[in-house]
Amino acid sequence: MSRQQNNRAGRQIRGPQSALTDFLASHNISANQIRLDADARRRAAEQENGASSSSNQQQVAEDEVGESSTVTTSVTVTTRTSRRKKDQKVIDKIKASKTYQKRKRNAGEDDADDDLLDTLLRERAPLPGQMDNCANCGKRFTVTAYSRNHPDGGLLCSPCGKEMDKDAPPKKKPAKRAATGPVGRRRQIQSKILDGTFQLGAKSLMTLCIETLAKNIDLAEDLGDLPQPVIDKIARKLSKHRLLNPTTLSLFLQPTADEVCIYDGAKLSADDYIRIFQTVPGLKRLKARNAIHFKDEVMDFLVSRKTELEDLYLHGSNLIAEEKWLEFLEKKGKSLQSLRVYWTDKHFGDSALAALPSSCPSLVRLKACHNQKITGEGINHLAQLHHLKHLSIDLRNHVHSDVYVNVLSSIGPNLETFSITREIELDNTVLDAIHNHCRSLQKLRITDSDVMTDEGFARLFTNWENKCLLFVDLQKCRQVDSANPRQNPDNIGLCDRGFKALMAHSGRKIQHLNVHGCRHISAKAFEEVFPSDGKKVYPELKNLEISFCEEVTDFIVGSIFKCCPNLHELNVFGCMKVKSVRVPKGKILVGVPNALGMVIEGVDDDEE
Amino acid sequence: MDATNGNGGASKYITLVSKDGFEFVVLREATLCSDYIRGMLRNNMTEARTGRCELQDINGVILEKVVEYFHYWYKYRDREDVPDMEIPVENCLELVVAADYLGMDSKPH
Repeated sequence: MSRQQNNRAGRQIRGPQSALTDFLASHNISANQIRLDADARRRAAEQENGASSSSNQQQVAEDEVGESSTVTTSVTVTTRTSRRKKDQKVIDKIKASKTYQKRKRNAGEDDADDDLLDTLLRERAPLPGQMDNCANCGKRFTVTAYSRNHPDGGLLCSPCGKEMDKDAPPKKKPAKRAATGPVGRRRQIQSKILDGTFQLGAKSLMTLCIETLAKNIDLAEDLGDLPQPVIDKIARKLSKHRLLNPTTLSLFLQPTADEVCIYDGAKLSADDYIRIFQTVPGLKRLKARNAIHFKDEVMDFLVSRKTELEDLYLHGSNLIAEEKWLEFLEKKGKSLQSLRVYWTDKHFGDSALAALPSSCPSLVRLKACHNQKITGEGINHLAQLHHLKHLSIDLRNHVHSDVYVNVLSSIGPNLETFSITREIELDNTVLDAIHNHCRSLQKLRITDSDVMTDEGFARLFTNWENKCLLFVDLQKCRQVDSANPRQNPDNIGLCDRGFKALMAHSGRKIQHLNVHGCRHISAKAFEEVFPSDGKKVYPELKNLEISFCEEVTDFIVGSIFKCCPNLHELNVFGCMKVKSVRVPKGKILVGVPNALGMVIEGVDDDEE
Repeated sequence: MDATNGNGGASKYITLVSKDGFEFVVLREATLCSDYIRGMLRNNMTEARTGRCELQDINGVILEKVVEYFHYWYKYRDREDVPDMEIPVENCLELVVAADYLGMDSKPH
């Protein structure tokens, strides 16, 4: 804009050149050229239509005023068409010439030259705002940006353009872009990485089929004789899409089955749950998540039937009264081997736990998650469950360490799983009890304790007569003091010595390690556990979570990749010293603190 | 048409035969996503020598789709963003059975 103004300012008007000519020149239009063209047209018209008919003359009068020449429109049209034809001839001639063909062959280009030639030689179409004659009816009209092209070249006036639009078949609307465009797809990949379900290459045929099936589940009448694992997959997929309702539930109720898994029972009513026990009399294992309507009447029905459950997994069944739980345990507890109760806030409490030793003698697995009712008194009763192998507790009430010490001293030797979540006051006495009593532990989880010390962890893992642990989760066992976040004079939480002792004890077999938020493990300890020369190898380690361990650097992450040949996923959220690590093929690094977010094999970290 | 070339299963292709006699010649490497066929092609089995696998439980229509999947799987084996293959709804359940039979399930890490 400004340049144009400058140009114009610089252009002086001198002599015979008029202001209009100057303006046209500034727009690259030569007034002289216009005059010459008009002269040529006039001459051509005189030659071709020596004596032009009066009707033509008439038309001129009716025609637009802008035309200063006396040339008739029809003449213009004919001359234009003939010129176009002539041009085409010239183009064809040039294209056919030997030199052109040779040049084209040498250049090895196919269409670029042709296009160039075409554009160079083609008569330039008038710009919007100028006048032109319609290529169809010959009338003069003002060219606009919306003027249509005639198939044989030239432009059409607006009525003719509309006519042509009518004749032409309606243009197909551009196909709707799929919801997962390039951006959506990338996002989906990242989301899959975070879910831990990412894999290179195509989805398995089974997955594709099950996805199709889930999309069209309303067409299915019967799943037929599919094997149990496949049915389970379909059930999961349906629940993921929230498609499990009373109708689709019927697909999973095979009279001969002994297992029913409902991953999302939110849409089922109490009658539907009763129907499960009616149609599947030999039911042994029942899993129901979001089973809100699994309530008293369902329990009443279950108690009245012959069904002998071995495994009961209930999630969110808050409408079962405490008496019903007691009745169920008393009548049906004999066969029960596994009882898992999630998110039942107020009705599964101490009295139910107190009933367990007498009514469920063969209980092997007990899990109570997100429970607001159980207190230390109930936990104490677990000491009498002598067959118990798997114990997972996640309560909202605080239970004193002494209670756990009591339980561990009684049933510790058999325990394979010991998981205590969010018990902030758990102290070293529990660790010592584990050290003294547990001999077959495989999975250990103690989280959020801010009382346990490094010394305690070191004592636990040093000279422990337990075989290697496979699963260790000690997340957020650390000192919390907002006033002095860096100092940790008492070595609270899992620090250097405890970490080293843990890896020395279980490194050979450990598969899953979570030390999320154990901030006081030093870089030195990491380097010692994961030496950069790869001399220590943790062959089974698949998942490692070291998020918010502040000391972790690029160098340590690189060493970890060297020391853990079978590592699948490494989480480093909040490790601000990790900047750009090369990730070996097949590994997933999640949580690098840059825009990339997560990094996956092969992709160069340098490309940002 | 048979995919054997006479010198003991060294051919790049193998022939899959359906229950009703349809034959499909497939790239050997592409069939490795099926545990079942990979097992058949292991060293000393007859199928490994002849390069001809008879699948007595799968009919031609289904096997055709499975073969299509083999090539789809082979084409995208190392790619990150893979478009989903169309699965015909009417054959979906039969394909699930075939996929289960042929061991074409996703492998846990």
